[in-house]
Amino acid sequence: MSHSTVPRSRAEAQTTGAAPRAAGPPAGERPGRKPSGRLGLRLRFRRDRTLILMTLPAVVLVLVFNYVPILGNAVAFQEYDPYVGDNGFAAMLRSPWVGLQQFERIFADPAFWDAVRNTLVLFGLQLVLFFPVPIVLALLVNSVVRPRIRAVSQAILYLPHFFSWVLVITVFQQIFGGAGIIAQTLRRHGHEGFDLMTDPGIFKFLVTAEGVWKDAGWGVIVFLAALASVSPDLYEAAAMDGAGRWRRLWHVTLPALRPVIALLLVLRVGDALTVGFEQILLQRDAVGPGAAEVLDTYVWWNGVRNQDFSYAAAAGLIKGLVSVALVLAANKVAHLMGEQGVYKK
Amino acid sequence: MTPNAASASPGQSRRSFLAATGLATAAVTGGMPLLAACGGAEDGSKDGTTSGKSAQKLLPAYVASNVVTPDIPARNGSAMGFTRKLDLAGLKTSVPKKHGRGGSIRIMSPFWGTPPKGDNAYYRAMNDLIGVDITWQNQDGNTYDEKLGAVLASSDLPDVVVIPSWNMGGRIPSAIIGKFADLGPYLSGDGVKKYPNLAAVPTGAWQYSIFGGKLRGLPQPAPSVTGIVPFYRKDVFDEEGYEIPTTADEFLALAKEITRPRAKVWACDDMKWTAFNVFGVLSGSEKPLGWNLADGKMVYRVETEEYLEALEWTRKLYAAGVVHPDARAVRGTAGDRFTAGQVLIYNNNISDWWGKMAEQAGQRSDLRISGMDIFGADGGDPTLWAGSPAGIFAFVNKKASKAVVEDVLAAADVTAAPYGTKEYMLTNYGVEGTHYTVEDGVPTKNDKGNQEVVNAYVMLAGPAPTIAHPDLPVIAEEQVKWQQRMGAFTRKSVFWGMQITEPARYTNLSDDFEQLEDDVVRGRRKIGDVQQAVSDWRKQGGDELRDWYRKLHDDTGSAQ
Repeated sequence: MSHSTVPRSRAEAQTTGAAPRAAGPPAGERPGRKPSGRLGLRLRFRRDRTLILMTLPAVVLVLVFNYVPILGNAVAFQEYDPYVGDNGFAAMLRSPWVGLQQFERIFADPAFWDAVRNTLVLFGLQLVLFFPVPIVLALLVNSVVRPRIRAVSQAILYLPHFFSWVLVITVFQQIFGGAGIIAQTLRRHGHEGFDLMTDPGIFKFLVTAEGVWKDAGWGVIVFLAALASVSPDLYEAAAMDGAGRWRRLWHVTLPALRPVIALLLVLRVGDALTVGFEQILLQRDAVGPGAAEVLDTYVWWNGVRNQDFSYAAAAGLIKGLVSVALVLAANKVAHLMGEQGVYKK
Repeated sequence: MTPNAASASPGQSRRSFLAATGLATAAVTGGMPLLAACGGAEDGSKDGTTSGKSAQKLLPAYVASNVVTPDIPARNGSAMGFTRKLDLAGLKTSVPKKHGRGGSIRIMSPFWGTPPKGDNAYYRAMNDLIGVDITWQNQDGNTYDEKLGAVLASSDLPDVVVIPSWNMGGRIPSAIIGKFADLGPYLSGDGVKKYPNLAAVPTGAWQYSIFGGKLRGLPQPAPSVTGIVPFYRKDVFDEEGYEIPTTADEFLALAKEITRPRAKVWACDDMKWTAFNVFGVLSGSEKPLGWNLADGKMVYRVETEEYLEALEWTRKLYAAGVVHPDARAVRGTAGDRFTAGQVLIYNNNISDWWGKMAEQAGQRSDLRISGMDIFGADGGDPTLWAGSPAGIFAFVNKKASKAVVEDVLAAADVTAAPYGTKEYMLTNYGVEGTHYTVEDGVPTKNDKGNQEVVNAYVMLAGPAPTIAHPDLPVIAEEQVKWQQRMGAFTRKSVFWGMQITEPARYTNLSDDFEQLEDDVVRGRRKIGDVQQAVSDWRKQGGDELRDWYRKLHDDTGSAQ
């Protein structure tokens, strides 16, 4: 069949492995043509089939692991019992539909509003206290001239990123806990000890501090890359015009970083309701859910621990919808500021 | 005590730690075992219990087996104790010929500690004795409930799934009824006589294995005396001259005396579960045990004065600063703080009594653990509530063929062998020379034994509750005696011994109490919040659930 010149067969031939012949003609069609718009669907397919084939595995993965599971959100409108069927899907078909009942339960649950409040406060704190840190660190690292010192300091900054949360929190407990190094040292010298790890009042600062220690160094990478792309000519020209260190920073470096900062900010806002799962779950019991429950742990607790699947799915759905709205809004703001944002129409 | 106690190791103590905290989990996560065929059923046949005549028809016949006469017979709901030297040369054979037909079985089971390689000398020896090729899918016992729900919801279920009763929260009971096989055709009545060791499993444990009107579980029988022991460092107490407290106030006073943060010593770890026992709070381990008739009124544990008093006392301990800060932060392991001397009192499953001694034998031979008697809050006799006749069950996949079910029963017949048999010795100690050595007639597990002969086969089905530590007979005696003393104060609540499934709509009703307890004792919430939560609980279904239990009780009476 593969000797036919009918496009469809050829595409078929390609999938069955007769690749060498396929590469020629479509490439030949490309010169002189205006991009896609005017081509027929079939021609475009012929032209791009190699690319399409290459993306196919990724598309399948996205479909199977991102899009198909979206259908599972249907259980948010059910009283889902996974055990009434042989598999999850059969169980979905047999579980009763309850309309918006799960959502009503959620909105009536004070613990949910605690989780929303904690999530937003944490997001705010992280935005103010965490977000700028990598930028400052990047500027510092960038100002180091000697390659060796620079490499070493970068390595030190990145390293904590590779520690697991369990380890990070254990280390914090050993240092700042009620029986930690600092408290015990104070006691041995006749002072009162203290316990930073179980104080609900400062928990959100603690979580942010842990985040900074662990991940700020990692965040430096993107900004360093952006800084590397700034043309040295600009600095020289600015220096020729008599700009000092700070003016160069203000008028050259920061404007160069602006698109990246805007992009990351949009992404961060879209992720606003995701403020750390494992990290918070591990410390939830130390301060109680009143201070530590965030939306992700709330969903986990109700879904996985209490097996109230529909309830958790509904809570997850709410979170998802709000997140989409936030991304759209943040993107819009980025456009208004004249930046690219995440995408453009 | 479970037969596992005999094979305890550092991992074993984690297991029991879980058993202790598991109580809490069960309390928080919801619905309990179900039952068909009976009164109170409003949602069809899935909830309720099976008792009386309908239960009689399902129960296996009981044929006692006395291989070795216990030195301390079971009394007051205790285990039986063996303290004499074991005659290793004279071990009996309780399974004369292999029942197993050489099939292969996959078993998923919780595992506390670090699982050994899948192919090891212990598993090979056991499989050889049973005549079945068993593959263990060992899962972390501390997070078992997080995986169990997903595994049970999948279409690819192992042949056998082991489920502890404290992991039967949420919708697990409905999964047990929907996904697991009825063993009645193999075991009911005289059917069990084909498996002599299973026939010697106490009837109460079998009755408790009836889920959804069918005999579905292979039980690991448990003593009815509470498993939570307030342990103390006897070596330190003796040296410092501390007196064992006999009232709640004395405990607090002693705790203040002991606590010296400068020296990194705190009196105790989290004592909430002991507080519940001291104040006589109804059991929180399984939901039906939390209900009782008081002056003709059906009450749930959270509604009682005792519950509030217990929380208030525990709160005082935290407020007085006598609880280790890491316990407040819920980090690390209580047992480790105890052996390290950072706390002198902690509570855990009774298996730690031997477990900690054995664990520390090589490193700290002067360490001596002991359990204090549970005292009544005001100094009188305590009121303790009986625990269930079985704590861990093995279930067979509904889709398993007859041959697979029979192979599983063959395996269970070996693991349920009583003390003094070759099968018990292999199950709990492994192979002589490989897993344990014998010195002066006393078997002691070596490193390989401690690695491999842990959990797994003992999870399948067990003999009547047994405590025997040939290496530390004194400890075995103390354990059984403690159980018997506490057993004298132990009462059975009205639904004791009945496997009850609440209607699905109440599954998550009581989820939040455990969290609230932990908040209150740590001073983050107030006792008033508990009272508020109880009043909400009544309105949101607690009162309806009370009526349901009331009707269940009227229809079935109690099992006692």
